[in-house]
Amino acid sequence: MINAGGKKYRKKRLNFSPYLYIGPHLILFTIFFLIPTLYGIYISFTNWDLIGNPEFVGFSNYTEILFNKDSTFYEQLRVGLGNTFKFVLFTVPACIIVPLLLAAGLNTKPRGFKFFQVLFYMPTLFSVSAVMIIFSMLFSVSFGPINHYLNVETNWLATQPYAWITLVVVTVWWTIGANLIIYLAALNGVSKDIYEAASIDGANSIQKFFRITLPSIRAQILYTLVITTIAQFNVYGQPLMLTKGGPASSTSVLLMYIQENAFGSGNSIAGIGSAMAVILGLCIMVVSAIQFIFLRQRD
Amino acid sequence: MRKKVVSMFSVILVLLVALTGCGTTSSSSGTAKNEILYWNPFVGPDGENMKQIVNEYNKTNPKYKIKNVSYKDSDMYKKIPTVVNSGKGIPDLTIVHAERIKQFVDNDLLTPYDNLLANYPEIKSENYVPAGWNIGDINGSRYSVPLDVHSFVMYYNKDLLEKYAPNALDDNVITFDEIRAAGEKSKKDNITGVGITWTRPIFLSIYNQLGGDITSDGETPTLNTPEAKEALQLLKGLVDDKIANKDGEDPAQLFKSGKAIFYPEGIWMQNSLNEAKNLNWGLTIFPQISPDKIVNWTSSHQFVMFNDKNRSEEKTKGIMDFIDYVRENSLPWAQAGQNPAALAILESPEYKKLPQAFLIEDPELQKTLKIFDYKYNGFAAEEIDKLVGDAIYGKLDIDKGLKTAQKAVEDKIATNNKK
Repeated sequence: MINAGGKKYRKKRLNFSPYLYIGPHLILFTIFFLIPTLYGIYISFTNWDLIGNPEFVGFSNYTEILFNKDSTFYEQLRVGLGNTFKFVLFTVPACIIVPLLLAAGLNTKPRGFKFFQVLFYMPTLFSVSAVMIIFSMLFSVSFGPINHYLNVETNWLATQPYAWITLVVVTVWWTIGANLIIYLAALNGVSKDIYEAASIDGANSIQKFFRITLPSIRAQILYTLVITTIAQFNVYGQPLMLTKGGPASSTSVLLMYIQENAFGSGNSIAGIGSAMAVILGLCIMVVSAIQFIFLRQRD
Repeated sequence: MRKKVVSMFSVILVLLVALTGCGTTSSSSGTAKNEILYWNPFVGPDGENMKQIVNEYNKTNPKYKIKNVSYKDSDMYKKIPTVVNSGKGIPDLTIVHAERIKQFVDNDLLTPYDNLLANYPEIKSENYVPAGWNIGDINGSRYSVPLDVHSFVMYYNKDLLEKYAPNALDDNVITFDEIRAAGEKSKKDNITGVGITWTRPIFLSIYNQLGGDITSDGETPTLNTPEAKEALQLLKGLVDDKIANKDGEDPAQLFKSGKAIFYPEGIWMQNSLNEAKNLNWGLTIFPQISPDKIVNWTSSHQFVMFNDKNRSEEKTKGIMDFIDYVRENSLPWAQAGQNPAALAILESPEYKKLPQAFLIEDPELQKTLKIFDYKYNGFAAEEIDKLVGDAIYGKLDIDKGLKTAQKAVEDKIATNNKK
């Protein structure tokens, strides 16, 4: 650039500092995200068992999972994607609304609010396996405290609709903290003057919440909505450990099938697994894009 | 400006050091000259017993010391293709499950033992349990040497057996009819007849007793058969008639708290039962339909060598020395609840006191140990796991479930072979 530009450009100082800031992230992004993603897309166009050399097969993996109605893999994609969408639909609203209400409550600084802040945030720090083991014990048919106190014998993890209810409850409990922190920070930034002015005008707390609080933190809500949706599309640990995909595959999500095909106990069918992963990735992109467009337009 | 450049370079330097640092440490492990890198899938309490064997062996001052590396089995199986493909950090000796060996041989990943055995005359068929030994012989070549044969048998509560089925063990075989009769009686006292635990070995044992197997010719899967249907119906009958535990009820807890008479489980489970105080348990063979054909589902951990061009002859000799040592010194392994495959163990009085020893001591029972040996066992296992629980607890129509399972295995095989 300097050579080609001659004197005129030489005066312009080459500024490295922005690159310095984004550099580490860029390197990690490339190594752990970009390269694996591109490699995964390449694999989806091949037949590969992780051992020999991948052989290019064009779109045949995609036609198999998208159009061959007799194929097991078509059925896996249909069931897996369907259950993944259900999971997103069931959990995302709760994962947005529950932390938002809690944040609004905590923002009024009730007594001991710091304690509750820690309490709500804590589950987010636990690993998925620890959380799922705890909940499988809580929901256990014969020894679980939940059945004991409700005085029922519900098989929470292996009959519907209880399996879905359990999954949603566990997920919301586990993920409250992340969004809660964002909302709390956002609410802290809303000027108190506006609330005071509204009080003088005689607005009640519900009106204040809908007319002031919500519009003031719309950007953050949009952010959490998109991030939460993406996170829930990638659901894996909860159904794997709690319901094992049952009863009768009704909670088998797509990532479970992807994992089984690529890294199952039989020979690897990595090509099909990768093609399913690409489809899942596309779904996430499309849904996120729709959310962005839909919520941005109202600005 | 200069300051900025200096600081930028220092950051990049730190980062590079950090990144390359990770790389070198991980790839250099196990390449030490006088070391045999030994991978195994033992992370539980049995991992401790394996460590004990390795430590004792290393104390004998062998030329090549064993470096014991334990992985969770699913992690280990994921790592194997990567390291064998890259040629770096290939383990010298690995323990794999018997059912995986055909797959590895098929992909040309294993080094045969054929030329090595001449110098180790004791590593031979006569000195091992047949089920464990035979599986390592593929197309006339030996690809593995067994460490153990671990079976799925049945625990029973001695006090409850006395009360509800005093004569059931007279012929040493407990039949499903006897379980049913005992369960009918115990039901009134709120005692479960039989706890249904891991459904795959339970189903496969019954299926094989009825004459079925997961493959007809070693290639084609055979899941959708009348025998499979009969096996599932038998189990479903136990559930429907409340002889077995209810869906979702924890059979292990029921048995440990003295609320179940029979508890089919693996021989490796006894340590966990010993934790339950006041539980007076016994161990016998898996329940049978009739005493005429006895089947005990069995698997086996086997020593294999993944191909590695750089492995010297000397090192391979070191590997063989270790395998031969284990053949004679596998008592710690038996104490972990397993049955060693090497018959030398029968000379140990300590072993004979162990509850699982009866399976090996009796040559007739040795013959009942059935390893479900099939190149596509992994595919079949995945589908059986999805099928059995749902079918016997009435969440899946048996005919439909069998059809789906059969089709799924066929499709996976077909896609896998499309190359």
